[in-house]
Amino acid sequence: MSHPRVEAVAGEARSAIERAASSAELEAIRVKYLGRSGDLTQILKSLGALSAEERPQVGAAANEAKRELEALLESRLEGARATERRRQRERERPDLTLPGRRPPRGVVHPLTRVQDEVVRIFAGLGFSVAEGPEIETDAYNFEALNIPKDHPARDMQDTFYLSPETLLRTHTSPVQIRTMRAQKPPVRIIVPGTVYRRDADITHSPMFHQVEGLAVDTNVTMADLKGTLTLFAQEMFGPRSKIRFRPSFFPFTEPSAEVDVLCFLCAGAGCRVCSQSGWLEILGSGMVHPRVLQNVGYDPEQVTGWAFGMGIERIAMLKYGVDDIRLFFENDLRFLRQFA
Amino acid sequence: MKIPYGWVREFVDDLRLSPQDAADRLVNAGIEVASVTPLAPPGLRGAVIGEIEAIERELDESRGHRLVLCRVRAGKGERFSVVSGAPNTRAGARAAFAPPGATLPGLGVVAAKKIHGVESQGILCSERELGIGDEHEAGLLLLDGDAPVGGDLARHLGLDDHVLEIEITPNRPDCLSVLGVARELAALTGARLRPPRIRMTEGPARARDLARVRIEAPELCSRYTVRVIDGVRVAPSPAWMQARLRAAGLRPISNVVDVTNYVLWELGHPLHAFDHATVADATIVVRRAREGERFTTLDGLVRTLDPGMCVIADPQRAIGLAGVMGGRNSEVTASTTRVLLESAYFDPAATRRTSRTLGLKTDAAYRFERGADIEGLVGAGVRAAALIAELGGGTVARGMLDAYPRKRRPVRVRLRMSRVQRVLGVAPPPATARRILTGLQLPVRTRGRDLEVDVPSFRRDLAIEDDLVEEVIRVWGYDRIPTTFGRGDVALARGSETGRQERLVREILVGAGLAECVTYAFSDPVRSAALGASRALKLLNPLSQDAAALREHPLEGLLGVVATNLSRQQASVRVFELCRTYEAAPGGDTDTAEPRWAVVALAGARAEAGWHTPATKVDVFDAKGVAELVVAGFGLTPTTRLGGALAGFEPDSHATLLVGDAVVGEFGEVAASARAAYGVEVPVFAAALRLDGVLPTAPRTPRHDPVPRFPAVQRDMAFALGERPVTADAIAGAIRGEAGPLLRGLAVFDVFPLPDGRRSIAFRLTFQADDRTLTDDEVNAIHARVAQRVCAALGLTLRGAS
Repeated sequence: MSHPRVEAVAGEARSAIERAASSAELEAIRVKYLGRSGDLTQILKSLGALSAEERPQVGAAANEAKRELEALLESRLEGARATERRRQRERERPDLTLPGRRPPRGVVHPLTRVQDEVVRIFAGLGFSVAEGPEIETDAYNFEALNIPKDHPARDMQDTFYLSPETLLRTHTSPVQIRTMRAQKPPVRIIVPGTVYRRDADITHSPMFHQVEGLAVDTNVTMADLKGTLTLFAQEMFGPRSKIRFRPSFFPFTEPSAEVDVLCFLCAGAGCRVCSQSGWLEILGSGMVHPRVLQNVGYDPEQVTGWAFGMGIERIAMLKYGVDDIRLFFENDLRFLRQFA
Repeated sequence: MKIPYGWVREFVDDLRLSPQDAADRLVNAGIEVASVTPLAPPGLRGAVIGEIEAIERELDESRGHRLVLCRVRAGKGERFSVVSGAPNTRAGARAAFAPPGATLPGLGVVAAKKIHGVESQGILCSERELGIGDEHEAGLLLLDGDAPVGGDLARHLGLDDHVLEIEITPNRPDCLSVLGVARELAALTGARLRPPRIRMTEGPARARDLARVRIEAPELCSRYTVRVIDGVRVAPSPAWMQARLRAAGLRPISNVVDVTNYVLWELGHPLHAFDHATVADATIVVRRAREGERFTTLDGLVRTLDPGMCVIADPQRAIGLAGVMGGRNSEVTASTTRVLLESAYFDPAATRRTSRTLGLKTDAAYRFERGADIEGLVGAGVRAAALIAELGGGTVARGMLDAYPRKRRPVRVRLRMSRVQRVLGVAPPPATARRILTGLQLPVRTRGRDLEVDVPSFRRDLAIEDDLVEEVIRVWGYDRIPTTFGRGDVALARGSETGRQERLVREILVGAGLAECVTYAFSDPVRSAALGASRALKLLNPLSQDAAALREHPLEGLLGVVATNLSRQQASVRVFELCRTYEAAPGGDTDTAEPRWAVVALAGARAEAGWHTPATKVDVFDAKGVAELVVAGFGLTPTTRLGGALAGFEPDSHATLLVGDAVVGEFGEVAASARAAYGVEVPVFAAALRLDGVLPTAPRTPRHDPVPRFPAVQRDMAFALGERPVTADAIAGAIRGEAGPLLRGLAVFDVFPLPDGRRSIAFRLTFQADDRTLTDDEVNAIHARVAQRVCAALGLTLRGAS
């Protein structure tokens, strides 16, 4: 149903809508035809002036045209707005290659990382953490560990003294003594700590870090030591890691062993780091000397024990390929950030 | 210690191992071999023994040397025309000769070349040209008349050997000799040990008529023996002995002295030869040195002695420093004819003290302090006396003077095979254990299922059963120890409480973007003084003066780190350290304490500047914020008190953080004078938190409060501060006091100076009730009351209020 008067306005509006290029133009068209004084609105408002016969025809046609135009406008507007939004975003498009706004990132010191890892492995094997003072007595650091005064074994650990009887501990082993004097067997401890020796070059630092392990019980053997250290090596250096024992001497263990781990850089084939030997020396170990057990009031016929000690710096140097120990203590941020 | 391998081979039958294989076996048995090096200098090849048949003609003079053209024979029918400028060039001599094609160290391949217009086919060589000594000016290295012409020079000089550099552990002084190494290798290979055969002919004169010995300090000298050798002519020792000594890294001196060194290397026992004529009354007195006694040792230095030291003396004066070095006044010289030869045992600890006190480290002291062989010293004396007589043409007097006041007690150690199993987790059959011990020259008896060893005097390290366990396993092989995991009962493994606390602090600080540092505990007293340190614990023997004390101020390490990084162009330094300081504190074992700290230092840019982040510098509130963050991580809320106990902060930018009344730490701007001492030119902001005390080490279990269900209402309140100094903390406290329980949050959101010079501070108050939605009227009433009362109490003006 249409009416020529209505159709003239509607046709004009349709083609205007057709031509419109933006949402603003479409809005203007809405006002022009459908607004309060728009052309179509005027027709509807003037229905009263029409004849009774003409009125319903024009009214129906105008109302229909109004609905049609509204729907048409709405759909065109939607499209136009979407296009405009897209264009707008296009104009304002961010350059995503610009660097992001990063929260600052801190970093744990590489020595802490290695120490934590060693401690974590032994904690998993049932070892409790024990600690002790860095300033020690000669008695705890040496004598109780079967290193008498004026013994050449003292050359193995050149010592800083604060007084003739107090010193900076040269190893974490005095914590063995303190722990065993404080508790009855069984003992299973892991002892991380800072230690000091009067020695300085690219592989020796006057201050460095050790982790020491001790197990004392009624049935502890050197084979158990080998087993425990094998598990450690596999966890620390990879599942194919192997260890080997070499005889050595420490005054507080008997028998004593140096422990080598299969070079994890060349898998034993021989490289620069392992001096072509295929093995890396990583720690010292042995069965707790009966005299040490006696010194803490244990009966060496009742209990046996094993102990080991390793240098954290040594392992960190091997693991991270650091060739100068002083880098750890220089704390150059460019060095530290490599361990983030 | 340098051990020529060829020498070792003389003492072991059928030792077929190559030098490197022998070294590997020793290492696997616990004898460290640092290196295996060929004795011939690298680059010496093809040199032979040449005979100068004739000097054919004289050439010009060159640089002060008369040049001659020689005809040199080197082997069958081989003749060379060689130019020589050496002063000792003479017809008929046999000399080191490098024919064309041979190589010399430093010179490379020798080729025929023209010298003063004459072709020289090869080089007649000096020691230096061969790389085997320093001698050059004296001329050619001349050889004995019976040296085989054309023979390989290196072999003839005993240079076709390898030297093992042995580094023993302190328990094995018995391996400090050729014989000792041979003994190990024999045990390890099962070959037979053949010690040097010692033959000595004694003359008619009796030693006890020629000398006397008296030990007055038996605690320092358990045994002193003397041999007397008469009619000795002091001269250079023969070539073979000189070659051996050189191979071992020793300098030949004279036959008598060389013999003592030779026997030291061969058997491991230090000996000393006195010129008998210098010993008053021919009487040796072994006594303690007198306090302040002055003595000139062989090296010509005057030593001041003390009674802890042992001297060899005659009735009038000291003539030797026992076990360390002989004396100038009694040394063997060219005119010596009667030698008094000492072979003795000196106390290890006393020898070590003497050597260290005087800073005099000698081969003799090295051995005595590790323990000499108190029985074996007799054989060493015989060996040396016989060699001196042989090389010096003398006669050994009959008998030995032997003062032996403290006889060695026999050491017998039982070895239970069950103990071997118990300690190692594995044991060889008893017969194998027995064979191993016997191979090590340890007399073994079977006692039922166990073994018993009479420990010989050269193995002072074997004292208890487990020592024998080690002997068995190190020869049997450490690789035979199996890998087991024990059968311990299950027990709870406890972490360390301080460790857990430190881990939490570390997590928080790393999360806040700081880098963890580890710095030396050593302190430079000059620098730390700028931080106000004055009671630092000092080292008796520091490595250097700038590391002479221990850290007293917690910031010492990090200030160094800040300096290092700023000097290396780092724009932003945000670092922390978990460290200890060291202080005297009565009590405990050492009268010291080691309080733990978490220390933070910030300098330079707050963050890396970027296109989105303007460059801003850190300030004191960055340091405070980081410190607060740590404290908050323990569920605690710190308050601030101006000023603090630590030195080294700017007085107007230094405050203390408290939890309740307890100090948890301090923060502020590092004093300009302090950072200047560390070479830092920009402001540094720092915080130091005490880890022993307020911050708990026990794990914290957070308790849950219900999350508020009703909306919060916010109101702002800005004050203009008056003349009276009022802190933000004081205002906040007053607000809290007035606002009552509905105040749930209070934050400072703006601080700025007003045009009239006063300071404005604005707070945002958050109100909330647990049981209802607050009405505006309710909140407005509280807000108005608080504003009015706080202004009145603190003398402030409410801003924005008319």
